[in-house]
Order: sequence, then structure tokens, then C-alpha cells
Amino acid sequence: MKNRYTWRTFSREFIALILAAITLIPLYLLLVVALKPSKDLFTSAAVPPIPPQWGNFATAWENAGEGGLGNAMLSSAIITLGSVAFLVVLGSLCSWVLARRPGRLSNSLYILFLLGIILPFQLSIIPLYVGLRALGLVGTYAGMILLWTGVMMPLAVFLYTGFVRQLPPDYEEAARMDGAGTFRVFLRVVFPLLRPITGTVAILTGLFIWNDFFASLIFLSGTDHQTLPVAIYSFVGEYVTQWNFVFAAVVIALVPIVAFFIVAQRQMIRGFAGGIRG
Amino acid sequence: MASITLANVGKIYRGGNRAVEDLSLDIADGEFMVFVGPSGCGKTTALRMVAGLEDISEGTISIGDRVVNEVDPGKRDIAMVFQNYALYPHMSIFENMAFPLRARRVPKAEVRDKVERTAKLLGLTEFLPRKPRTLSGGQRQRVAMGRAIVREPQAFLMDEPLSNLDAKLRVQMRSEISNLQAELGVTTIYVTHDQVEAMTMGSRIAVMRKGVLQQQGDPQHVYERPVNMFVAAFIGSPGMNFFQACLRSDATGYSLELPGQTVPLPDDVVRERPALAGYVDRDLAVGLRPEHLTVASTGGPTMAGRVIRSEMLGAERLVHVSIEARPVLTDEVVEAAADVDPTTVAALADDSDERQVTLIVRASPSAHVESGAALQVGIVAPQLHFFDLESGDGIVA
Repeated sequence: MKNRYTWRTFSREFIALILAAITLIPLYLLLVVALKPSKDLFTSAAVPPIPPQWGNFATAWENAGEGGLGNAMLSSAIITLGSVAFLVVLGSLCSWVLARRPGRLSNSLYILFLLGIILPFQLSIIPLYVGLRALGLVGTYAGMILLWTGVMMPLAVFLYTGFVRQLPPDYEEAARMDGAGTFRVFLRVVFPLLRPITGTVAILTGLFIWNDFFASLIFLSGTDHQTLPVAIYSFVGEYVTQWNFVFAAVVIALVPIVAFFIVAQRQMIRGFAGGIRG
Repeated sequence: MASITLANVGKIYRGGNRAVEDLSLDIADGEFMVFVGPSGCGKTTALRMVAGLEDISEGTISIGDRVVNEVDPGKRDIAMVFQNYALYPHMSIFENMAFPLRARRVPKAEVRDKVERTAKLLGLTEFLPRKPRTLSGGQRQRVAMGRAIVREPQAFLMDEPLSNLDAKLRVQMRSEISNLQAELGVTTIYVTHDQVEAMTMGSRIAVMRKGVLQQQGDPQHVYERPVNMFVAAFIGSPGMNFFQACLRSDATGYSLELPGQTVPLPDDVVRERPALAGYVDRDLAVGLRPEHLTVASTGGPTMAGRVIRSEMLGAERLVHVSIEARPVLTDEVVEAAADVDPTTVAALADDSDERQVTLIVRASPSAHVESGAALQVGIVAPQLHFFDLESGDGIVA
């Protein structure tokens, strides 16, 4: 049998390995700096510290933000999961109606949602702040969830509507013929069929909300509901920045995301690639 | 079980596009009615109006004694089998079949019992735990049938349920569906564009074109007595042969005049169709089914032609014979021909240029014909069909 491992294959693999190594460099630097003592921060940044300062993680965990990194992580999780849940439920329902009831009103509403994607939400930060304050929601989880549900809804509706339009209406019609009411049709038939796009919506909006710094800084300053990016920022001072603690905190903040990806990657990839199969 | 009545039913879409016009049909309890016609003829729209999936713009639809125009699809007590089966991909076969029962809040034990009984009837028991994507086309089709049967509806609606299957499986499923329908005795409306399916399955067929019902009746009647050129061209495979001729009358009787030859008509032909007398010295369309033409003389009238080729199909031989005549290229014939095979339209156009018409003769497999040879094509005169060239209507009475 002919040997299929040629020089061409070898060089391709070699280039791929180099590219993979390049992507690991920031991670390596992240870990190295996170383990350095404060006095060595600006000398030989790429050299691993001896001995490594494992205590940096404990300091970052306890001293970040108002209530430590654990508290910030909990806040980020509540705000992200809460917002994503509302986005998925309301976005899918709204898009189903927009996609299945074509007409002037639904077209206009759809365009309105698209405008929401185009316009940067920072433009509306002052009215949003005034509105949330009037509702007594500034500095609360409910306020942040409401804010993000509104801000990310255009993207969710855009993604869901495109997907529903591609979905053959036969499934819904079959369910209606089978005697299911509107709610049952949506819950038992339509929503499960939206699984691939629900994964996309959850990841895209969830990452944006999890990583957000600006809105959290504006709406959650001075409360113990600070999110991870704001808590990490507390190590950045006006004159001195404790980069080793910042990096240690970033490493800790990465852990749940990486863990989630490792646990859910198979389902996520299946969801993205699966589409609809009758 | 129940009868279904469509009374002057019409469908006008937004923008004024009319899909169905003045459709009136009585479908008896337990009857197998087939709506047949080319794409866009309104048959699926009519079915969907019965299902409740399309609003009814005009007229009324009744199931049993109840007018259902404003009744939700789920409350009409009818089941539908979709063209692509519409099996819920995320549910097992059991869940798929149980869905209509659960939607009606049937007790759990009864759901299990009914689903298992239906699965057994259809040979699906071993597939119950599996997902639809793991099943073959035929098995999925059977599951779709099962989902329709399981709740014992008053009527079945089937929207081209066999069109996604390969030819062999289609023939098998055709008889399975027919047998099942006969066994259950449930009123059924079946939509297809395949006239063979319609002829073999329906206890009655309704031929539609451009939203208008052309003819309805039992398949044999529609085949033998088409009311117009469209029905004549659409029903039958191979389709009816058409050519133009001028009807002449003299002391010896009636005859058809074609370029270069005259075909005498037996007196009976005109006697049975008195309206023909009004067409003397006028052009009309003549139609003949392939089995009503012969390659050997039968003592009746004949036409001179030339064999182009012959196709041996095992049980029969199709002989293509070219005769000198003007082809019939009305909209009806072209539309019916295009639905069967779009390439035949180009062939018809070629005939038009050359003033030649190709007739297909259904002959016995042992018939000896040679390509290029001259042939006197025999005509089974009582089976001649005549149509008005302008209106396309049959000249019958």
C-alpha cells in the first residue's frame, strides 16, 4: 500500500502545530504573570517565576471588587443566565410570530429589531439609566437582566427569525391537525426544533453579557452585585496596577467558561451542525 | 366516519390571486376521493381548506352535518398525512404516534395501548423507540399513516404522501394505503399529481386545472369519457393522441380529412354524437387512446403513416407512428403534456413545424413493425374522441 504520509502532509501538520502554539502564547503569559511576585512583574515577563506565587490566586479571589471574586462570579452567572433565559424564551416566541405571520406590521417590527442591532446601545445609556432608576432597578440583578434582555433582544430575534423562516411549516401544521393548541405547538414542537439556533443565541448573547464591562460599571458601581470584569478591574489603580492579581483573577474567571465548554462541547457542536432532520 | 361536502368553495389569496374557484363536491362516507391535476391546479389548496390550514374565501365545507369553515384544524376530527410526513424529528416513533392522543388528553394507559395496536397493524412495533431519522422513507411514510390512524378520525387527508418514495416503493405503498383505507373504511381525500396513482387508488377522482374542477367520477368513466381535452390529455399513460382534422360530409357519409388522406367515419360514430353534425366543414381535434389504434387492420378505418420506432416494454409494445396532420397545440394539451414530461412540449412544437403528428400505438409485444416502414394504422372507431378546438370541450352529445 502506498504511504500516504507525504512531505506535504507533514508540512501542513507542522504549520498547524505552530499556529496552535501561537494561540497558546497569551495563555502561557497569562499563567506566568499570574504566578509572579509583585516585584518581578516588569522583569523577564516570559520567564516562569521560581517559586510560583500560588497565593496570588487566593489574594485575587478574596480581594477583587466589593465582595471577592466568588461573589462577582455569582453575580455574573445570575445576570448572564437570567438574561439568556429571557432572551431564549421571549426571542423564540417573538420570532415565531414574526416569521409565521407575514404582513406589514410584522415586517415593520422586524425592521425595528434590526435597527436595534445596528445602533450601539451605549448611545442610549443615559435614558436607560434614568429609566432604570425611576423603576428602582439600578444596582439590582433584575435591572441588569431587564437591561440585557432588551439590549440583546434584537440579535436574538434576528437569529431566531431567520431560522424559523427556514423551518418547514409542516411540523406546526401537523401538530395543529393533531389537536395541539398554540402553546403546545410551540412548546412541544417548535421550540425543540429551534435547538441549534438556541445554542447560537445563548452563546453569542451569553458571552457578550459575561464579558461586558461598561454597563456593569455604570449600573452596578458601589453595590455588592459587581460582575467579574468590574471586580477584576479593582486591581487597576490610578497610579499602580497589580497586574499579577489581575491576571490571576482572569485565570479564575476563565475556569467556568472552559469547564462549560469541555462539558458541553459535544452537544454544542451537534447543535450547531445538526440542523433539522426529519 | 363522515361525509365531506364542499359547496361552491373558493380561495382567493391576498393580492387577488385565485387558487380555487367554485368547487363543489360530495364525498360519501367511507369513500376514497382523489384530487388530481398538474402543479398549481389548486388541489392542495382545496385539501388544506378541508384541513383548516387555509381560510375559506367563498362557499362552505361540511364534515358530516357540521359546517367547519370557522372550526380549528384540531377540532375538525380529521387527520392529515403530509408530503414530507412532518414527523417530529426530536420525538421517538412512539412519541410521534402518541402526540395526537396526548394533545386530546387521552389517559396514559390508553395511549400506550392504542399506539402499540396501531404499530402492530402497520408493522412498526420494533421501530417504536427509534427516532424518525433512523427510518427509511417507506417506514417513515408508515409512521405518518400510523399517526393519522391512531386517533380514529372521521376522515383522512393525504397530500401527495408517496411523492418522496422511489418508484418501486411507491407501487407497494399505493396498495398498502388502498388496502388500509378499505379495511378502516375511513373517508379519505388524497391529493396527487400522478394520474396513475389517482386511477389505481381512487374510488372516485376529481381532475382539477387552474383552480377549477374539470371532471369528477369513477376512474374508468373519466378515462373513457373525458369531458374536455385537458382531462383527455392528463389522464392516461401514455397520453391520448391528438391531431387536427376537418370533418366532411357527402353522399357516402361522414369522413375526416387530413392532408393527403381521408378517413371515413362509420355512421355509428356520428349517430352517437349528434353534435358532430354542427362541425361539418370545420376543423376539430381528434383524440385516440394508444390502445384504440392498431398496427394490423381490424376492418375499420385506417390512416397511412410511417413507423418511427417501437419500444418493447415486456407486456406490450409502444409503436411510434408519424402521420401527416396538424398537431393540436392548445393550452390544455401543452399543460397536460408538460406535467407528464416537459420534453414532450418541445417534441409537440417540432411536430407543429413539420406538420407531422406522432401517434403512439399500444400493440402486442409480438407485433412485427420495422422502423421507417409504411404502416396503415387501424382505428377503433367507436372509441374516437372529438373536441372543439377553441373551447377544448368534448363533442359528445
